[in-house]
Amino acid sequence: MDKKLAQTLADVFELLPSEVHHGITRESVASWDSLRQMDLVVSLERDFNISLEMEDILKMTSVSSIIQVLLSKGVEIEN
Amino acid sequence: MKIDGAVIAITGGAKGLGLCIAEDLVGKGGIVEVVDRDAELVATLPSEISGACYDVAEPEDVQKWIDGIVQNHGRIDILINNAGVIYNEPIVNILNPTSMRHDFSNFKRVITGNLYTTFLVTSHVVEHMVKLRTKGSIINISSISSAGNEGQTAYSAAKAGINSMTVTWAKELGRLGIRCNAIAPGFIDTPSTRASLQSTTIRHLESQTPLRRLGTPHDVAHAVISLIENDYINGVILGVDGGLRI
Repeated sequence: MDKKLAQTLADVFELLPSEVHHGITRESVASWDSLRQMDLVVSLERDFNISLEMEDILKMTSVSSIIQVLLSKGVEIEN
Repeated sequence: MKIDGAVIAITGGAKGLGLCIAEDLVGKGGIVEVVDRDAELVATLPSEISGACYDVAEPEDVQKWIDGIVQNHGRIDILINNAGVIYNEPIVNILNPTSMRHDFSNFKRVITGNLYTTFLVTSHVVEHMVKLRTKGSIINISSISSAGNEGQTAYSAAKAGINSMTVTWAKELGRLGIRCNAIAPGFIDTPSTRASLQSTTIRHLESQTPLRRLGTPHDVAHAVISLIENDYINGVILGVDGGLRI
């Protein structure tokens, strides 16, 4: 798991970085609601210096899909 | 936020306080779109202000107005929720023994005209702001009556509700750079104030106000401009009342 991404997601969803893994989905994290989704967007944009469109925001429903969106923006992610 | 070139939507902007705010924002270079239920008033707007005739208490009307602005200008940067209904009725009127209680239909009408309209328009505008990632500014016109004012059960409740929504939206939307603030005017010298209050009442209000005068519409417009231009003010209910509340 990419350390930088794990830290970002841990901060947003109030998890430990070690608790962040590829299998996490919106359904599996209690704190992942609409407001957290907005926090997620702002945090990813700040930490990875990208701009997310509405289409991207709607796609991000799991850690795997977040990684896919970041890759599509040219972000280099460590496995 | 710069006002010059910003797309600004103002409800109830065809007369009085709303029109003054619209004119002052045009003077700062804003692209101003106002809505009002009164078609005759809309027809008299200055050429630099675009007007539409819709009822912002009706969801379909709100959607048409807001979607139209976004279609024409590509976005909305600033929303000013100014439309409202002032109404006075005590909770019990002992001078009317056949119907002493505050009329429920009047309560609903005032809540609708002030609170529901603010909710409806804001929800539509914010939807566009979020989709378009606009770092916008929302300003709700509240009232000094939001603290509770005798004879104004419905109006006070509606304005208190507006204050609560203002803070809620500031908390929810701040993370996206969308700010929400309110202005709570005291007694402002408008034609409707002059028409609804006796001159003796106005003199009494002036004497009760530390600054010893009614506010002018420009005092409120100046506060609107300040809240728009200062990007670090969020979730504030700004009293513009000459100190009447203290």
